[in-house]
Amino acid sequence: MKLALAACTALVLASGAAAAEPPQLTVYAAASLTEVLPRIDARQRYSFGGSNQLAFQVRQGAPADVFMSASPEFTQALFKDGLVERPHRFCSNKLVLAVPRSNPAGLRTVFDLKRKDVKLVVGTARVPVGSYTRIVLRKLAMTSVLTKVVSEEPDVKSIVGKIALGQADAGFVYTTDVRAASDRIRAIAIPPWAQPKVHYEVAVVRSSEHRAAARAWIARLSQGRARRLLRASGFGIK
Amino acid sequence: MNVRRAAFSAALTASTAIVIAFLLLPVVAIFVDVPPGQLLDGLRSDAAAEALRVTVKTNVIALALVLLFGTPAAYQLARRRFRGRALVVTLVELPLVLPPAVAGVGLLAAFGTLGLLGGTLDALGVSIAFTQTAVVMAVAFVASPFYIRTAIAAFEAVDPALLDAARTLGAGPGRVFVRVALPLAASGLGAGAALAFARGVGEFGATIMFAGSLRGVTQTLSLAIYELFDVDFDAALAVSALLVVVSGTLLLVAKLLPTWTRSPSTFLSGSVRSTSS
Repeated sequence: MKLALAACTALVLASGAAAAEPPQLTVYAAASLTEVLPRIDARQRYSFGGSNQLAFQVRQGAPADVFMSASPEFTQALFKDGLVERPHRFCSNKLVLAVPRSNPAGLRTVFDLKRKDVKLVVGTARVPVGSYTRIVLRKLAMTSVLTKVVSEEPDVKSIVGKIALGQADAGFVYTTDVRAASDRIRAIAIPPWAQPKVHYEVAVVRSSEHRAAARAWIARLSQGRARRLLRASGFGIK
Repeated sequence: MNVRRAAFSAALTASTAIVIAFLLLPVVAIFVDVPPGQLLDGLRSDAAAEALRVTVKTNVIALALVLLFGTPAAYQLARRRFRGRALVVTLVELPLVLPPAVAGVGLLAAFGTLGLLGGTLDALGVSIAFTQTAVVMAVAFVASPFYIRTAIAAFEAVDPALLDAARTLGAGPGRVFVRVALPLAASGLGAGAALAFARGVGEFGATIMFAGSLRGVTQTLSLAIYELFDVDFDAALAVSALLVVVSGTLLLVAKLLPTWTRSPSTFLSGSVRSTSS
């Protein structure tokens, strides 16, 4: 009898726990988070792309619960227009010059871009990685190498793809992208003084039906396991 | 019974109305969202003007190549009966149903730097990546089946007796092709070319994967829309409106060409006379 009661209680508790399980969230996230987010939490639904295009989709009423941008520009603009809740910074990143493992153009430093005949791929001026790239080139006084650009890509993973396939000789991407594709590309460092401030922001979308769950999910991003995984992937954590 | 018949007829009408509304609304919306004056301003933007230039240039070259190689190939496939012909025709038609992203991956795997022919091309000093050649190849790959399919049908519709008559009157096979088969199939070939051109102008997926996107070099109108839509939606609308007009015109040409020239008797006697003269 006691055993049956215990079993009943267990069953009730289990079903209660099942009902209280948080809903699956739809997370719109910068393309550079493609590898790390599913590793942090594989249960959510992710849509990866250029932060500018994702922000546009949120503006158009896309069914996102959480928006994660590779630049505060887009989260802050949406916040100002009342479309997302107050954004939080949760990690940072660095830019590198990526080359194919075989390095066909023989680049050794970022300054070699000026001398050599290279096929360079960058992001469009609008996508965060593209605007960071232009900041770096301004700081290095090397904006003239933009004439060697053979393609402007809509997001950072498209740049990585063009380099990994050997179509392009070099491209500016995040250090985390090179780690994720280290079997095919490698990084050439950019001097620290030329680095832009690359901050990632995350915000709950106001039109979401799961705002409480989305806030809880965001809070977990700053906890031990998520932070460890972000750092292991090469992201900067305060 | 009458009620049933009326209900069926009403259901047909309703379905037709839904289909037309659904298919037309997005097209109409492009023109309604932005006033015509603003549409023209959008087209005057540098990005749109350069994309138009790139699109016209690459598509004219691609179409010329498709016509040059596709017409004899279609003639051959229409005239000759050989084992595996159905298979060959199906293979030629394959890009028609292939997802553009697959076309992009395929072109990279074949002609990319690390692709099948990449090493050979590299040895020859040819680099296709990120050039207008890559755009032309992507366009030709996705558009040629539209032409070749229609061209095969057009050549098949030519009465073989006329070709045989030309032969017996002393015309060589080349002359029969140029002076008899081509004029007789002309309207069908024109319709196919218009369809292929329309498909080529709209090409997106294979182009962005194989050729990349750079303003003034490889950025076609479709790619420009993709780059513009979140920055300047009005400009994206303007370019879209232009493409609607171009595509609509091409479809109309493809539809009307066969009917314009449908006076077979005069057409046929004229051609045959010219070959025998």
